[in-house]
Amino acid sequence: MLNLGLLTPDLVLAGLALAVMLADMVLPPSRSRWLYHLAWVSAAGVLTAIVLGLGKPATMGMGSLWVADSFSQFFKMTTLLAAVLCLLLSLDYKALPARHAGTFGALMLFSTAGLMLLVSASDLLLVFVSLELVSISSFILAGFERSNPKSNEGAMKYFLFGAFSSAIMVFGISLYYGAAGTTKLAAGLAAPGPMLILALILIFLGFGFKASLAPMHFWVPDAYEGAPTPVTTFLSVAPKLATFAVLMRVYGTVFPSAQYELQALVALIASLTMTVGNFTAFFQDDAKRLLAYSSIAQAGYLLIGLAVGTPLGLEGVMMYAFVYVAMNIGAFAVIQAVGEEGGYGLDAFDGLSKRSLGLALTMTFFLLSLAGIPPLAGFMGKLYIFASAVEAGRWWLAVVGVVNSVASVYFYFRIVHRMFFRGTRGEPAGLRVGPHVYGAIAVAVAGVLFFGIPPEPLIAGVRASAHLLP
Amino acid sequence: MTLAHYLTVASLLFLIGVFGALTRRNIIGILMSIELMFNAANINLAAFERFLHPEGVAGATLALFIMTVAAAEVVVGLALLLAIYRNTDTAYVEDYNLLKG
Repeated sequence: MLNLGLLTPDLVLAGLALAVMLADMVLPPSRSRWLYHLAWVSAAGVLTAIVLGLGKPATMGMGSLWVADSFSQFFKMTTLLAAVLCLLLSLDYKALPARHAGTFGALMLFSTAGLMLLVSASDLLLVFVSLELVSISSFILAGFERSNPKSNEGAMKYFLFGAFSSAIMVFGISLYYGAAGTTKLAAGLAAPGPMLILALILIFLGFGFKASLAPMHFWVPDAYEGAPTPVTTFLSVAPKLATFAVLMRVYGTVFPSAQYELQALVALIASLTMTVGNFTAFFQDDAKRLLAYSSIAQAGYLLIGLAVGTPLGLEGVMMYAFVYVAMNIGAFAVIQAVGEEGGYGLDAFDGLSKRSLGLALTMTFFLLSLAGIPPLAGFMGKLYIFASAVEAGRWWLAVVGVVNSVASVYFYFRIVHRMFFRGTRGEPAGLRVGPHVYGAIAVAVAGVLFFGIPPEPLIAGVRASAHLLP
Repeated sequence: MTLAHYLTVASLLFLIGVFGALTRRNIIGILMSIELMFNAANINLAAFERFLHPEGVAGATLALFIMTVAAAEVVVGLALLLAIYRNTDTAYVEDYNLLKG
């Protein structure tokens, strides 16, 4: 069965991306902001279509090239939500060249469409092609401020590491084909052997680069610091979570890592990622760089769920993924609002509470949530993941995670301390924040509060979505 | 010529590519090394299809996809190189040191 209908949202989004690009040629330059609106409305429309279509039985398309199950729909929703919020942020980001608004919007939508295909893929061919669609569009987005040397440099480093990791992954896929005779994920199970294990490890390394796991994380801080802030926000959320979705599909369900004795490796990488991310973040003086290391650490927490490999671990990853979208985008939105005026150094946050109390309070919310302080949503996600590790008897992994989240409070509170307990350099001037940034922050605050204080709706949603069709 | 010969060549190419990508200082050199790695995968695919799985076309299809995608990737890489070269007048990675921490 071809079942192309399963991919309708993805294909419609790709079509809309082309439409944005064409509209760029027709519209006069003075109206270029319409293109951002067109882009985020397209993403929001596709998101609505997916939400309305929830609850259909899981089916496969084109043999087993792609699959639409509740798990993939869940991650499509998180991806689209991130895309909508980041496009809203880019409306108020001044350094983006107005002449290329259409290209920017189209590339964001292409990248999102690639991520949607990626979480649906159940064949390594589609995994590779969609991952490249995502990577190639993100390389361009990261270097979008063409006359800014920092943006150039970040994009170049991102590109070199990205291309290198794709090449490693492709070599792994070619070995997989040799062992299994096909690139279908389900077929590999019938062909165990050393070549398959080597292939699985190489493919894992490829994914590890995209998800910024520890020994492969060197590009992250540079690319995040150099890229335009809305793009940084997008990169820190959407590709990372979609990569985790594929990791869960490949290494959590199709090839249970326990069966291939990869669990020790995954657990080691998880604890390394958390530790490296948190302890390097201590020494950062740039807000974007600090959050880049924090997002590396967050990837480590997520990886615990994979290392555990139980259904509870899967639910924990999904839950944390959803919460992570809200809190990370919220934190980056505040950073953009502050950084547009005073630069991205941490000293730009000095005395923020006197300039804009609301912004300082919401930033505190997001940072508390990222650190995992109880009533907020981040705590529930972490609780689930650590609980799954304890339940599976890997209590040491939970201990590493808890120690790391305690340590992370220190650097998150460096920002809070500056916002509330330091004076501004001179008279505190009001902060001008664009309406769209406020909109994005409002959505993020709603996510952090409403899914944290009564977590039952999110838990129920995740339970209902945690079904994979291998 | 058996499968082992092809696989040896492919693995050697892959390792040369990895070594080059890690040690080259010039962006163009790194790009060439990465291409070697992609092509090692293509040799693998062609050899596997010919010797182990002659019944389907999955290997050849994947190889075609890899060639196309690798070309697209290099185009973007060269465009980024042009942009950065205009601003810094250098194509050597050790000179790109604005971002640190």
